[in-house]
Amino acid sequence: MSIDSQEAASALSDIDEIVRRVRRSRIYNLASLNMILWGALAFAGYAGSYLWPRSAGYSWTAIYIVGTAGSFLISRFDQARKGVRTFDLRMLAAFVLFVAFGIFCTIVLGHFTPRQLGTFWPIYFMLVYTVAGLWIGYAFVAIGLGITTLTLIGYFFVGDAFDLWMAFVDGGGLILGGLWMRRS
Amino acid sequence: MAELDDIIHQPLRLRIMAALNALPPATGLEFAKLKKLTGATDGNLGAHIETLAKAGYVAIDKAFVGKKPQTTVTATAAGRGAFARHVAYLKEIIETGSDNAGSGTPS
Repeated sequence: MSIDSQEAASALSDIDEIVRRVRRSRIYNLASLNMILWGALAFAGYAGSYLWPRSAGYSWTAIYIVGTAGSFLISRFDQARKGVRTFDLRMLAAFVLFVAFGIFCTIVLGHFTPRQLGTFWPIYFMLVYTVAGLWIGYAFVAIGLGITTLTLIGYFFVGDAFDLWMAFVDGGGLILGGLWMRRS
Repeated sequence: MAELDDIIHQPLRLRIMAALNALPPATGLEFAKLKKLTGATDGNLGAHIETLAKAGYVAIDKAFVGKKPQTTVTATAAGRGAFARHVAYLKEIIETGSDNAGSGTPS
């Protein structure tokens, strides 16, 4: 049996496409677990802000600590199962820098109201999802733009129930997005 | 030496081996996931996996998760080696830009 260079190029192109799909599938799988985790935490955080607004600062600090630890554990579990490390010190440093910049913008440069804070953070996170999605996969773009749009609708048009709206939009959106991603 | 592998060269089997080879060693893919990634049908995929298993290129693990049967397919060391040789052969053909006679399936 013999093949020509055109057939060989086509076979290599097929291989590249499959490798790309496998990588995307693995990223989706890991990202979906993190999205479900952060979705549940965001739901709890916004629901807490709605019910006990005075304690919102403490509850969100706790949520960030629990979420970071949870993401680390998911990565360790994935590493044990697949032999690939995904949440390393570099990733932690990137996350800390990202959050620090957000805090700098909202507290030092500007003095955001609770409603503005509740809008800024999800949009800030979803910006990363959307930009990363341009390289990683369309699901990130869809989830990022979807949650950003609903967040802005809530900011401009939803009254006192904004935190409750955000519990479902950000928390519920991340959970649904994570479940959808697992099926993609 | 790079050589054409008749077993791997079939388009669907090439996609199966490419998908399994993209994973870390000893990591497999569930049948349903493999089906989705390769765009194959149930029957087609099953038949080609059997062919690859007979050649010793993949290992098939059947287990029950709860009450659901789950089939996991993993590339063996021999399969990874054969795939690497096949890819090297394809690249060689493109580099030389000429038709090339394959030496057949290694046993």
